[in-house]
Amino acid sequence: MKTVYWLQGGGCGGDTYSLLSSDFLDVSTLFTTLDLKLLWHPSLSGIDSATHNRLLTDIASGTTPLDILMVEGSVIFGPAGTGMFDTFRGRAKKELCHTLAGRARYVVAVGTCASFGGFGTDHETEATGLQFKKDKKGGALGKDFVSGSGMPVINLAGCPCHHDVIAGALMAVAGGIPLELDRFQRPIEWYNTMVHQGCTRNEYHEYRVEESDFGEMGCLFFHMGCAGPLVPGPCNKLLWNRHSSKPRAGVPCFGCTSPDFPKSNQFFHTPNIEGIPLDLPKGVNRAHYMVYKGMAAEAAPERLKKRSAKV
Amino acid sequence: MSPETKKINIPLNRAEGDLEIKVDVTDGIITDAWSCGTMYRGFEAMMTGRGPLDGLVITPRICGICSLTHLNAAAVALDRIAQVTLPDNAIRLRNVALMAETIQSDLRQAVLMYMADFTNHKAYHRHVLFKEAVARYQILAGSSVVEVIRKTKRLIEIIAIIGGQWPHTSFMVPGGVTSIPYVPKLMQCRLIFDRFLAWYEKKVLGCSIARWQAVTTKKELAQWLEERPEHRDSEVGFFVRFAQKAGLDFCGRGDDHFLCFGNFPLPKETAVTPRVPGAGLLTTPGFARGTDCRALDAANIKEDSTCSWFEQKPAASHPYDSITRPYASGNMGKPYSWVKAPRYDGLAAETGPLAEAVMDRVPLFQDLIKETGATALVRQLARITRPARLLPDMGTWIDELLAHHADPFYTPVKTIPDGQGAGMIQAARGALGHWVTIENSKISNYQVITPTAWNGSPRDGQMQPGPWETALKGTRVKDLQNPVEAGHVIRSFDPCMVCAVHIVKNEK
Repeated sequence: MKTVYWLQGGGCGGDTYSLLSSDFLDVSTLFTTLDLKLLWHPSLSGIDSATHNRLLTDIASGTTPLDILMVEGSVIFGPAGTGMFDTFRGRAKKELCHTLAGRARYVVAVGTCASFGGFGTDHETEATGLQFKKDKKGGALGKDFVSGSGMPVINLAGCPCHHDVIAGALMAVAGGIPLELDRFQRPIEWYNTMVHQGCTRNEYHEYRVEESDFGEMGCLFFHMGCAGPLVPGPCNKLLWNRHSSKPRAGVPCFGCTSPDFPKSNQFFHTPNIEGIPLDLPKGVNRAHYMVYKGMAAEAAPERLKKRSAKV
Repeated sequence: MSPETKKINIPLNRAEGDLEIKVDVTDGIITDAWSCGTMYRGFEAMMTGRGPLDGLVITPRICGICSLTHLNAAAVALDRIAQVTLPDNAIRLRNVALMAETIQSDLRQAVLMYMADFTNHKAYHRHVLFKEAVARYQILAGSSVVEVIRKTKRLIEIIAIIGGQWPHTSFMVPGGVTSIPYVPKLMQCRLIFDRFLAWYEKKVLGCSIARWQAVTTKKELAQWLEERPEHRDSEVGFFVRFAQKAGLDFCGRGDDHFLCFGNFPLPKETAVTPRVPGAGLLTTPGFARGTDCRALDAANIKEDSTCSWFEQKPAASHPYDSITRPYASGNMGKPYSWVKAPRYDGLAAETGPLAEAVMDRVPLFQDLIKETGATALVRQLARITRPARLLPDMGTWIDELLAHHADPFYTPVKTIPDGQGAGMIQAARGALGHWVTIENSKISNYQVITPTAWNGSPRDGQMQPGPWETALKGTRVKDLQNPVEAGHVIRSFDPCMVCAVHIVKNEK
């Protein structure tokens, strides 16, 4: 049996609530099926605080082995590097994070805040991710950190992270199944296709039938700030809560798997030059793209121009 | 010899974030309490200078369990600033999603967070219902736990169908909603709803909603329990029986000040009627002392930071005028929390499902307040039975969406003008407000007061304790090493610290 400790730092608990929608396995059977002992989870555990204190002492001394450390939320360093904006029994919680990470065979950052810092990276809370601060390697544990298994931190990006990705990553590390990581240490099994892939608005995108206000039924990329073609993620492949994704419901993708989420420029708006977005789909040549989109708009069939295709 | 007073610290988990309670205990009775939010997240500071719509994306991320209610408050504030009238379908769609979120939160809180304490071996191994409590509420394994995880997960699918995903969608926008669910999707919602309703009646209530609503007094509650084994064995029935034996009907007494902002605006055409006529909302805004309910006057809301780790202002101020900066002074002096102290007309007030039931004049809870006042038992009973008060109207709105599916879902709002707007709504945990100021097409001020800020507030300038600090006083703690009773009191307020601990913004 392997052990799991779930630490929450500067976060909203959203990844935990995402995990409660896991369909891969219910949360109630996930841990037992994978032969995992959940030593502690701040929202789910029932042990009293004295037992929890002993557990932490035993993990720190190595008496209780820690196989998997799951961290949700950012590591808070403010004010002025002290970490006292987030304390655990009077001490900065970042210290606990260091202690536990130093003992774990695998360290998994659950969500964008734990991976890259997310909310508060540019503010007085001095939030940082475990091994990145935005796109810069380092973070709370340092760029050279590797856990007991030899792996760096595994970043399950997303705000929140998709429930099936959390469950799937747990299964992989519990079973010793190797996970190949991209340059931001996200497992490529879930982060090598764009969010755009599988979107039900793809036909609108193809022929450049665009939405310029909410509910118009069209592609959200050109005016509404959709980052679907720009960032990787499984939202339209695995679907959320078994049914949908934000773009399918007319909500632009906000690019939450990206190290720079949340960006400082405003949401629901695509910065563009003459109607062509400044940021183009990953790897695309601007001149070719402009020609292609011009022709695509010309070729758009009436049924799409009339926006009669429901998404 | 005078009795010895012991000071103990009670870190509380299953509280959605970080909370430590310090209490003085004399002769086994809590004589004083201090509630300490131990994390500062600074969300409002991130809002300043951003685009006017950005609150719709950022504020849901304040909280993973009530993300939609933050979205709703943010959208309502912008609706007000844009002075836009929403189409009926947008109102229905927002309401249906919000109800789904509230209901999942109530059931998860009751079964996964609250009743889990009934399995505390040290405290309850002699309780006559202990074995059954373990069978039901054992962490991640009890029969009720497994069912609640499965059923709430299904209910949330309604939010995904309507809004794309849960948590953290942004489908509510000024003017309405982004999504236009077509007929098969709405039929799926109806199906999910029907199945959830059937389960809620059978397992949680043990009777039909109509039968439950006929329980109007404390006496009738006792009769209902006796009436059928299904009533006694339901989640509600078991909770009441366990809680009475554990003394929860005597602990957690507050001072019975209740605050509600009201929620669920009514569409122009609808079969749903308001709980109290006149408000234009399904649930009623107001402030009550005991069962004496008064209309809400938003000007009476002030924030005090005397005992919070923030730079001090000379006087308490309305959220539009609040100026606050974090100022960690350690454990010296008065401050002891990252939560500020909101007050209504100078008074600490509790908010949540019980306050809502009192304000909506639900007979059972009006009677319970008169008979016993607010206790841990009454608060939890109001929470676990709130879905019975919401589900019938939720079903009506889903049907109305199906009947009116070709009507508009969005009123175009070209740009958000400069101005001020408040989104004051009722979240699962109680009164939630977003106060927003737009200047030069940017957010110049964003202030949030969450339900847990009301319930878990520290002392104010008059040294008046917050509601759960008050409720802790007088609680008997049998074992200082295992102060489960204090947990029962605090948890009856459904604490959500991730929400409460960032109630600050930066000075411009």
